[in-house]
Amino acid sequence: MTLLAIPVIALAAALWCAIPRSARAAPAVTLGAAVVAFALSTQVLWALRFGATLAPARGWVETDALGAFLLVLIAFVYMTAALYSWGYLNAEGTTARRVRLYHANFNLFAFSMFCIPLVSELGLVWIFVELTTLLSVLLVSYALTPEAVEAAWKYMILTLLGATTAVLGVLVLFWALHTTGSTDFTWAGLRAAAPHMPQALLGAAFVLLLVGYGAKIGLVPLHTWLPDAHSQAPSPVCAMLSGIETSAVLYVLLRLRNVFAGDPALHVGTWFALAGLISVGVAALLIVQARDYKRLFAFSTVEHMGIMLTAASILTPFGDTATLWQMLAHAVTKSFCFYAAGIAVIVTGSREIADVRGLLGISRVASAGLLVGGLAIGGAPPMAVFPSELAIVRAALQAHGYAVASLLVLFIVVAFFGVMWHVTSMLAGPPVTSARHRVPVTCALALAVAAIPVFVLGLWIPSGLSQALESAAKVLGT
Amino acid sequence: MTQSIALNLLQIAFVLLLSPLFAGILARCKELVQSKRGPSIFQPYRDLRKLFGKDERISEDSSWIFRSAPYFVFIVPLIVTLLIPVLTDFPLFFAFAGDMVGAGFILAISGMFFTLAAIDGGNPYGAMGASRTRMVGFLAEPVIIIVLFTVSFVANSTIPYIVQQHWVHPIANFFAPSHVLLLIAFFMVLLAETGRLPVDNPSGHFELAMVDESKALEFSGRSAALIKYGGYMKFVVLSIVFLNVLTTPWGLATNGSPAGLALAIALVAVKILALIAVIVAVESSYAKLRLFRISEFLAAAFVVSVTAMITEILHL
Amino acid sequence: MTALLLELNALVLGLFIISTIAMTVTRQIGACMQIFIVQSLLLAASAFLLGAAPFSWHLFALGCVTVASKAVIIPWLLRRLVPGEIDRRRELSQAIDVPTTLLIALGLTFAGYAFAQHLVHAADNLSPGNISMGFAALLVGLLLLAVRIEAVPQLLGLLAMENAAFLAGIAIAPDFPLIAELAIAFDVPLLAFIVALLARIAYRSMGTTQVGGLASLKERQ
Repeated sequence: MTLLAIPVIALAAALWCAIPRSARAAPAVTLGAAVVAFALSTQVLWALRFGATLAPARGWVETDALGAFLLVLIAFVYMTAALYSWGYLNAEGTTARRVRLYHANFNLFAFSMFCIPLVSELGLVWIFVELTTLLSVLLVSYALTPEAVEAAWKYMILTLLGATTAVLGVLVLFWALHTTGSTDFTWAGLRAAAPHMPQALLGAAFVLLLVGYGAKIGLVPLHTWLPDAHSQAPSPVCAMLSGIETSAVLYVLLRLRNVFAGDPALHVGTWFALAGLISVGVAALLIVQARDYKRLFAFSTVEHMGIMLTAASILTPFGDTATLWQMLAHAVTKSFCFYAAGIAVIVTGSREIADVRGLLGISRVASAGLLVGGLAIGGAPPMAVFPSELAIVRAALQAHGYAVASLLVLFIVVAFFGVMWHVTSMLAGPPVTSARHRVPVTCALALAVAAIPVFVLGLWIPSGLSQALESAAKVLGT
Repeated sequence: MTQSIALNLLQIAFVLLLSPLFAGILARCKELVQSKRGPSIFQPYRDLRKLFGKDERISEDSSWIFRSAPYFVFIVPLIVTLLIPVLTDFPLFFAFAGDMVGAGFILAISGMFFTLAAIDGGNPYGAMGASRTRMVGFLAEPVIIIVLFTVSFVANSTIPYIVQQHWVHPIANFFAPSHVLLLIAFFMVLLAETGRLPVDNPSGHFELAMVDESKALEFSGRSAALIKYGGYMKFVVLSIVFLNVLTTPWGLATNGSPAGLALAIALVAVKILALIAVIVAVESSYAKLRLFRISEFLAAAFVVSVTAMITEILHL
Repeated sequence: MTALLLELNALVLGLFIISTIAMTVTRQIGACMQIFIVQSLLLAASAFLLGAAPFSWHLFALGCVTVASKAVIIPWLLRRLVPGEIDRRRELSQAIDVPTTLLIALGLTFAGYAFAQHLVHAADNLSPGNISMGFAALLVGLLLLAVRIEAVPQLLGLLAMENAAFLAGIAIAPDFPLIAELAIAFDVPLLAFIVALLARIAYRSMGTTQVGGLASLKERQ
């Protein structure tokens, strides 16, 4: 029952934090729950790393190597974000009641994300994806400024619109399944029944689900909410949103890919590549003209989602491995970037790039974090994103997708240039302020913990993790 | 043949004699709903008798249009009753002399003369009312045409008698989505064309807010009586088109027997009373729309009618 | 018997489309909410009619849950959380005027029908009218979401979209796993709760709920 314990722990922590008496203990309880959840999910991944499955309720709640892989990602970022929130909220100076409610909401958000890889029935998956939106909206508007409210509103409306489109896609897919006589509405059941489904229904479901879930991961042109929401939210929430929530929805799209890939007339690979490349290109250009460094990192999320979608369009085993590797690298790196950005906001008091100069003289922690973060997310060695992006390009070349590979390289280079230009312009020059704000201890600690996989995974993947990666890719490819 | 001519005359008598009564019942019911006692239901007859006995005053600067318009307004609804199924569901003598589009154009003749006469009379409120009526009229035109064409798709004809046979006789058609959509669209146009709330307040006295009423301000004596009478008859004629062709074509006489005709007269009167009840409910619930909101009202009617047409064509 | 039920269902569908058009043309937020309640009741009626013969207790349960959550709980929630918007007869504003919105809604209805016809001819289902009307009403709800400026009318547009998706859903998948359908149906009050909370926060921080007019977060200042 370790599988079911993971979301239950997050839920229990949320309920604890909702009790009015617990304001002082709320951050500690959240952190404790996150650490336990991380330990449990690594245990599950270890157990499933050779491709076994765990099924407490077959047909409803079951998970395999791919699901366990996502669980570990979610748990890791949850853990570091919980650690970071402890100090970050104190620095903001808010009331005890708001802190308690923040942590309750935070745990509920983590609970809804944990449930996504654990369920295999498509209707339940949709419900939990919609719950992740609903439970993170109030977190985005936490600052209560008009900009935060605007960001939360846009986020909610656009993603709920996507969710409504997706539910129609789910229903049409169920209809198609019904015509084949089967009622097994799980990933495996759909993949088995897909060759027999009427093509009109399959095509309609594909379009609806790509548009609906695409709005949720920030595919251009439905990405307009992403920079707002992922920059106005408090930094630990940004880390969770950018790092794992988008990855969880991308996981759903990847699982659905194989249902539709069986019908060659749908050209799933072409559509994925088109959607992915457009997102990468537009995001790269948006990165160059960013004015707010948290928005900069949010645009980078759009770019990486596009990269992963393009990698998934290659449809080879090596391409799938590279996609999942990129998902891992992006989750740990993007959360690191947002932690660094959050520290910079605390230290300088502004989110605008133009307002921050000479960060090197103001705070060593902030500048080190931003420099490493910028290099890492741009894809420089020896950090985690470099080998995964290299693997994606190699997979594309191996599959003779020369246009795709060259466009990817071009856009990644443009984005790298944009990110580094802005980051270095913030670091160099005379310090813009002489005030020395103290960086909260837990924030710095969270930054250090988040840095570990960023560096380690750039050089070496532990054998257990690489076995799990292979098995997960195999699940993705079947 | 003599029988069908006689039935035509019976239809004209029905409309001629009973339309002031229906107008009186409508006015009384509205007042009752507002917890007032209201005038007697025979009051319109007394008003007409009074007006027919009075002198007429005609402006020297007005032309033959002003003098002849009341006759047009009075006679046109009677011509239209020759074309529509009032009491019988088999075609009568004049049934094929004009179809529904023709009936619409004939009604437009009276509207055109009345509008021109309002301007001709020289009353500033008349000109204002004329322009407002034209605005409502041209916005309502597309709705009427689309409604008529949609029902003729089904019936393969635009003759009202034939449309009535095919449109709702199969009971399944009564529940079809396009039917209820057409009903709502035509009802909204009925309210607009006969000058009822929420488009225009028929019992209002404030000239600047009038849409239809101000056109009749300049007429006196016999002309005013003819205009009023024509207004009552136009309302009854449009209601009969709505009820007998579009909504509830049942209950009409299938042969010329006196018993069948008597039953038909009673049933048609009941149907018109039911429609009056609905109109009273609508009029008592809504405030008069501001002038520029009338275009929204009629745009909604247009959208409903086009949706009905699409739904019907796609056989949903 | 089944024929009569299908005919009544067709009538309900006609009224559903009228309610969608009425939602587009109405000018008051309170009236918009009342039309939404009527629309939800029509959706429940369609579920009851389609589930009557052959009897499907899935659809009956869905109808009951729809009545409870959309016709009772959501209006109550909105009245409690944002009473100023609804009870004081607030007029709503739109980015484009009503006649233009109506004409665009007409075009979208046609597009929805066209897309649905494509699907309806591909496989059998309980009621093709449900699916076509559902798709058409979904697109009109999307239009309402896009053009309305205040928070509560935008929410009502979103909820109208969900109504339309379910209208299509009850004909597509009458035996959809019940737990998923019920959870979807319970998810809607939670949605309304959070949106209303956010509208309250918007009102407190900005003094107005005209969230459609917010455009301060962009690159070029």
